[in-house]
Amino acid sequence: MGCGMGKSRIQPNKCDRVSISVPAATAIRAALLIQRWYRQYVARLEMRRRCTWNIFQSIEYAGEQDQIKLYHFFGFLMDHFTPASSERNLISHIFRENEVCRDADWERYFCYKDIEVPDSYCGPHLTFPMTFCGVSKLMEAFKLKQQLHARYVLQILGETWRLLRILPNINHVSVCHTKEITICGDLHGQLEDLLLIFYKNGLPSCEKPYVFNGDFVDRGKNSLEILLILFGFLLVYPNEVHLNRGNHEDHIVNLRYGFTKEVLGKYRVHGKKILKLLQKIFSWLPLATVINHKVLVVHGGISDSTDLDMVARMDRHRYVSVLRPPKAIRPTLNGNKAGSGKDEDASGPAEGRRRRVRSLTNTSAPGQRNNIPRRSLHNLPTGGAQLNCSVEDELKERRRLAGFDQTYREVKTLDSDSDPEFGEPTETHGHEWKQIVNLLWSDPMPQNGCISNEVRGGGCYWGPDVTEEVLGKHNLQLLIRSHECKQDGYEFCHNRRVLTIFSASNYYEVGSNRGAYIRMGHDLVPHFIQYQASRTCRELTLRQSVGWTERSALRALRQQLFVHKSDLVGAFQEFDPNNTGVISLRHWATATERVLKLGLPWRVLRPQLINRAQHGMVDYQQWIRELSITEPKPEVSDTSIMETMYKNHSNLETIFRIIDTDHSGLISFEEFRQTWKLLSSHLKMEISDKAITDLAQSMDFNKDGSIDINEFMEAFRLVDLSTHA
Amino acid sequence: MAPKKDPKAPAKKAEPAPAPAPAPEPAPAPAAAPAIDLSSVKIEFSADQIDDYREAFGLFDRVGDNKVAYNQIADIMRALGQNPTNKEVSKLLGNPTPEDMANKRVEFEGFLPMLQTIINSPNKAGFEDYVEGLRVFDKEGNGTVMGAELRIVLSTLGEKMNETEIDALMAGQEDENGCINYEAFVKHIMSV
Repeated sequence: MGCGMGKSRIQPNKCDRVSISVPAATAIRAALLIQRWYRQYVARLEMRRRCTWNIFQSIEYAGEQDQIKLYHFFGFLMDHFTPASSERNLISHIFRENEVCRDADWERYFCYKDIEVPDSYCGPHLTFPMTFCGVSKLMEAFKLKQQLHARYVLQILGETWRLLRILPNINHVSVCHTKEITICGDLHGQLEDLLLIFYKNGLPSCEKPYVFNGDFVDRGKNSLEILLILFGFLLVYPNEVHLNRGNHEDHIVNLRYGFTKEVLGKYRVHGKKILKLLQKIFSWLPLATVINHKVLVVHGGISDSTDLDMVARMDRHRYVSVLRPPKAIRPTLNGNKAGSGKDEDASGPAEGRRRRVRSLTNTSAPGQRNNIPRRSLHNLPTGGAQLNCSVEDELKERRRLAGFDQTYREVKTLDSDSDPEFGEPTETHGHEWKQIVNLLWSDPMPQNGCISNEVRGGGCYWGPDVTEEVLGKHNLQLLIRSHECKQDGYEFCHNRRVLTIFSASNYYEVGSNRGAYIRMGHDLVPHFIQYQASRTCRELTLRQSVGWTERSALRALRQQLFVHKSDLVGAFQEFDPNNTGVISLRHWATATERVLKLGLPWRVLRPQLINRAQHGMVDYQQWIRELSITEPKPEVSDTSIMETMYKNHSNLETIFRIIDTDHSGLISFEEFRQTWKLLSSHLKMEISDKAITDLAQSMDFNKDGSIDINEFMEAFRLVDLSTHA
Repeated sequence: MAPKKDPKAPAKKAEPAPAPAPAPEPAPAPAAAPAIDLSSVKIEFSADQIDDYREAFGLFDRVGDNKVAYNQIADIMRALGQNPTNKEVSKLLGNPTPEDMANKRVEFEGFLPMLQTIINSPNKAGFEDYVEGLRVFDKEGNGTVMGAELRIVLSTLGEKMNETEIDALMAGQEDENGCINYEAFVKHIMSV
């Protein structure tokens, strides 16, 4: 149960005096009545809670899928366009991950020594080597909302980087009979949760080892503080503190999910350098931890090809971002491969979600499972690098929309991804990369087998049979992973052989879920401690917290509906050939799912989304109007570009940040235009120069002709005006 | 997967009591009666209703095989606005063992006649019934009942509730004297 109120217990003597005052038969009748009705109440609440959860989770994973598609699109451009064009440079730098070869050169670049700490600085001063006192000081400062000076940030990060380089890919930890180890899951920038864990459980020390299982950053607003604290403890207790890489320890993911923005916002001068150093650190984070040779701790999960020996052997730091496979195994273009970004099979993500045990309005048979086109990161070329005619045409069109140079030739130059030190990527690197992506992105599913994780766009879904096989092969007894938010902070599956631990409470919304951590002794039996940061939500009854979270989810959902309104109206009209303006509820549900592709139970949600449905029919135009979302800048005449912008809010922001190579937070009008060109190419849409110019003119440009990314994104954030809000 | 919160098949017997009269309770007779013949139940739902039920059903499918476990049936029905006792549902399912309740699964087409049976049953209760049900404990006739008495009744009689459930039910309802205004109570609960 959630955070129910703790009513005072009835004192024992009072109980003795209370007896049942009515005849037994009447009492029994009353009891049954109340019990039945209470259970109905609970069941209805539970259903609402599940719907709400589905909404948040679907939107979350759809966002991840979106991100990966965008990144794939860039990769596509990179692979097939001439290096000569200057526009390519707009994005090529995110793939050019290792401009400088040698660590010595990097050390010089990251050197903190010339950075002066002014006398006016009133944050903490650190001395090195790091000590327990130093980390404590840091924690106290963060509690007081102070910010650490960039000099010290770079110093900590530099030391961390040096340490991580000597750690193996897999941490091996022994828990002897006098110690217990603590394992924490996703924190996602929520400093209150980390502090709460330390408060309840004690700080890391020689007697108190910890494993932090990835996803320290993004979404929450204190990602950097969390990192600094964790790295601080790592430096002080390198044998007791173990960090695993998560899928968010990846600079490309950070572009979208807030960590990049956080760092640049807090460190305007040195942010870029800090981010670059973090890129290296992330790539050097170990991939897994094994406790007593029996318990495997990894952020995402496994696949049917997981081979810990291969994982132990590889050069893990080669894979700075795991969003994209090394060039050797990138999909070449033929009719139905990922790179061409063909129209999604409408049942693809939906089928994926059925794997995840969610209900849908479609009733596709399990047999269809095999027909899902494989669109994930796992796509390997089926052989032959010939580009056929239609694909060449598509390439031309893409280039034209992106404003790239029209002429092109085969890309013969060295792949800009690879570090010259490593040489050309090979088949082995492809396999290694796949191992990592599965470790960091996969989710368990209830059915046997192993299929690509279409919903997130990376990693796979693995079944109980794969768990048995992989654990058996490596002589392990338990897999502990994170990556998925759980209402109670933890959840077993696969006959209790897989345990999910998630440490960010209130992840979707205040009151949405508890966080938890694991204590485990020599006997390797996990014990759970659950918590929920923030006093307010602990005092909410279950019903209140369900209601609160539900309102928040519905707001998010209404926004999604609003940004897709043109598509929705189009889909509704397909069911309304006579233009009556109304359609049946059934058609409404089908059309909405077809457009949004979130796999949500629309019929169950209907009472929350539609005010009036007369005789089972919906006036869809009116419904859309009643979504009551306001566009803050209605004076832009071209409404289709506005809708594109709302729909691609996050993609737009990601592209802005990529283009903003000096991380100033400002882009020029020309860069603004280029962003739109890139986006239009990704979406395969025409966006006229005039529309872009109009949009730009509706903004306040700074005097030097540039716009602030943050301001722009804020100005076009949707505002929910509905009375339900 | 996280274990379901709902109680398993409860004890069938009511608690022993001094009252001689048989309880005029709406619950069906105890076990030994044969399972209801579901194949003869005529489905009277509209297509729209069936779609609604199918979607709700799917929400409870935690395995992805388009089925739900026996021990979820009662909750799905409750989520759809019915409120059978656990005993009634057990009878529908042919009085399965606790193991059956956890392991056996039924698909949507099998569920529909069960739902229809429950909907057809005369065992309905509305706002007034609930208020009446609580009014019997209103010793002073002032619109309130003693929370403590209610707790004992709910935890020892009928299809017993456990402490957590009772706490959740009563949360915020007892005043400083431990009394509950039952009309307000019923309104509050029925508004979910």
